[in-house]
Amino acid sequence: MAQVELNHVMKSFGKTDVIRDVNLEINKGEFVVFVGPSGCGKSTLLRLIAGLETLSSGEIIIADRPVMDLPPSERGIAMVFQSYALYPHMTVYHNMAFSLSLQKMSKAEIKERVEAAAKILQMEHLLDRRPAALSGGQRQRVAIGRAIVRNPDVFLFDEPLSNLDAALRHETRVEIAKLHKQLGATTVYVTHDQVEAMTLADKIVVLKDGQVMQVGAPMELFNRPANEFVASFLGSPKMNFFEGKLGTIAGDTSTAAFAGEGIACDGVRLVSQNKAQGAAAKLGIRPQHLRLDPNGQLSGTITLIERLGTETVVELNNADNTVFRFASPDSPDLELGQTVSFSFDPTLAHLF
Amino acid sequence: MISRSLRHVVLALIVFIWVVPFVALVTTSLRSETASKTSGFWKAFTPTELGHRFSTHDGDNQDAFVVMTGNIFERLNQGSESFPVTGDVKSIFFKGRVPDPDNPGETILLRKLVPPNEPMEVRDGEFVFDEFGNFTWTFPEASAPQPKNLDVFIDQDPVFGADAFVEVLFQDKNVPNALISSFIVTIPATIIPITIAAFAAYAFAWMSFPGRDWLFVIVVSLMVVPTQLAFLPVLQGFSGIASWATQLNAWLTDCELNDTCQVASKSFAGLWITHTAFGLPLAIYLLRNYIVGLPKELLQSARIDGANHLQIFTKIIVPLSVPALASFSIFQFLWVWNDLIVALYIGPNNAEDLVFPIRLQKQLGTFKDQLHLLNASAVISMIVPVIVFLSMQRYFIRGLLAGSVKGG
Repeated sequence: MAQVELNHVMKSFGKTDVIRDVNLEINKGEFVVFVGPSGCGKSTLLRLIAGLETLSSGEIIIADRPVMDLPPSERGIAMVFQSYALYPHMTVYHNMAFSLSLQKMSKAEIKERVEAAAKILQMEHLLDRRPAALSGGQRQRVAIGRAIVRNPDVFLFDEPLSNLDAALRHETRVEIAKLHKQLGATTVYVTHDQVEAMTLADKIVVLKDGQVMQVGAPMELFNRPANEFVASFLGSPKMNFFEGKLGTIAGDTSTAAFAGEGIACDGVRLVSQNKAQGAAAKLGIRPQHLRLDPNGQLSGTITLIERLGTETVVELNNADNTVFRFASPDSPDLELGQTVSFSFDPTLAHLF
Repeated sequence: MISRSLRHVVLALIVFIWVVPFVALVTTSLRSETASKTSGFWKAFTPTELGHRFSTHDGDNQDAFVVMTGNIFERLNQGSESFPVTGDVKSIFFKGRVPDPDNPGETILLRKLVPPNEPMEVRDGEFVFDEFGNFTWTFPEASAPQPKNLDVFIDQDPVFGADAFVEVLFQDKNVPNALISSFIVTIPATIIPITIAAFAAYAFAWMSFPGRDWLFVIVVSLMVVPTQLAFLPVLQGFSGIASWATQLNAWLTDCELNDTCQVASKSFAGLWITHTAFGLPLAIYLLRNYIVGLPKELLQSARIDGANHLQIFTKIIVPLSVPALASFSIFQFLWVWNDLIVALYIGPNNAEDLVFPIRLQKQLGTFKDQLHLLNASAVISMIVPVIVFLSMQRYFIRGLLAGSVKGG
């Protein structure tokens, strides 16, 4: 049963269409991440669900209720903002109790719920402090606590980690993942960071220019990207692309042959199903899937070597002056200016 | 470096220019009437040589004596409690006939300043004084001379007293009445516009309604309307209301019997309304610009938490706008407190309801020779805004928003 349902959601600011016909189902207890480059409309989509923006057309259904005409507070959602948005003149306790006291809840019940939430987040000792006396991570936790006490149907997170430093970001990310397991609450999470998306999500929604590019489990998106955008957006370093022509297409159109930039291969997963033989196509292959092979078809001159410790990333230029990368978990004995050749497994490549 | 020290010099100059009149007012108000008439305020802090006249003893004291001792200062300060004369006696002006050294048997009229410890002949006795004012008057045989008035020059210590304040505050009711009237006018004329303006500013900043921006432009452009321009229509309006209220009064009550139907067209309420009306554009403009700068996420967060506009306003916006509210209330308080012209045209004109600036203006006529009283009134009228300013100062808190949003 879908907890959140978006049907033909459209949003335009003036003449600019920001969200174009988004259809999405989010199941109960699912952790869904909206990911995409900046300006892709992911935050707008979240704010549409929250009710901070009004729909141009379409339907949003939360817990079987159409919520388009409901104010944010009655939609059964709670939101954590990128900037935390804590009330600076209230203590942590009152920040968390604010929504409950507006609901005219009894003092005792408010206390019970705030303390329960504080316990979950291990911040009972912070309740009397003001936001100014908290660190960034603690503020983020208060913002999450403020969402928890409302006991919402859906949690909405708007880039909650982007204001934290790298170490804290990792720590908080782990905490959010644990929290989700503990509470089992339906969560929609917006980020531009693919690591957050890959690690946290049960389901990733990749957005571009207000349109859904692909929806699916993280590894599904990684292994079977639906288009060139998703393929290049997920994964680091980015996928390599080589231009060429489509060769013979297999009978069930699942695989095809490719030739171009000195590469010829067959049995490659065909993504663009509407292309005919001989049409211009792109071969996509992840840097991790290249293998050093003196007899390989793909060769290039090394222009840059980045040794990251866990991984070595090598940037190369091939004969057609296409830049491509090779990533290896070990540290191969390579030098700048050296020409090396690679082979790859065609079943791990994609044809767009 | 040069520009920095230049800046300090200019700042110091500005401070000096502003502080001097204040010091002058306060100093003059604390001096005696004579002192304020005879010398400028800048001489009040250093010893000044001043002439006084004292009599050696009281006229009803007819006991005979050979040696009389006394003290010039005691004689001078006898009977007056304020502004006691203290200091060093410099000289006594001697005027009298003494034997002529050139022509034995003859006398000449001598005028001279006698320094301390130099004997001089007064009423046939030998009069000696010291710089502390102690004098001895010795006669060859017991006698009971008439008291002698002597002119003494004293290097007088600075002396201050609150007599002028006591006089203006307690001698008659004018200044206390003016103080009360000014408070009656100023407090509502500050609170009313700031309350209305805060609501309006919130609406202009965070509520969307058709024509909002145009309405705001109109409100802001009202700032350029000078008060003086509107006196005539405003007055006409108030007198219209007053005559209407008079008729209503006659109709509803039996005031015709004792002829008390007349409702005054110039009243405190008129002043409140006028000051509110002319204060609002600036207040709305200032507060709106402050409120629109508050983080948007705070309001959105409050909306998600279930707060309606009124709750967002009272629980989030007002507590966070305290610095802006405080600074505007100081503006409005000062403006209304110091206002003369609006009070003159719109305010009540019976003597006991006059506000402070009008009272001061009237005192300029009555006290033109009593600078100390005039200055005491001025200081009283000035001290109120100073107290208001100092007590509001703690609301100018920097970093009120700290911890709310990122960075902080």
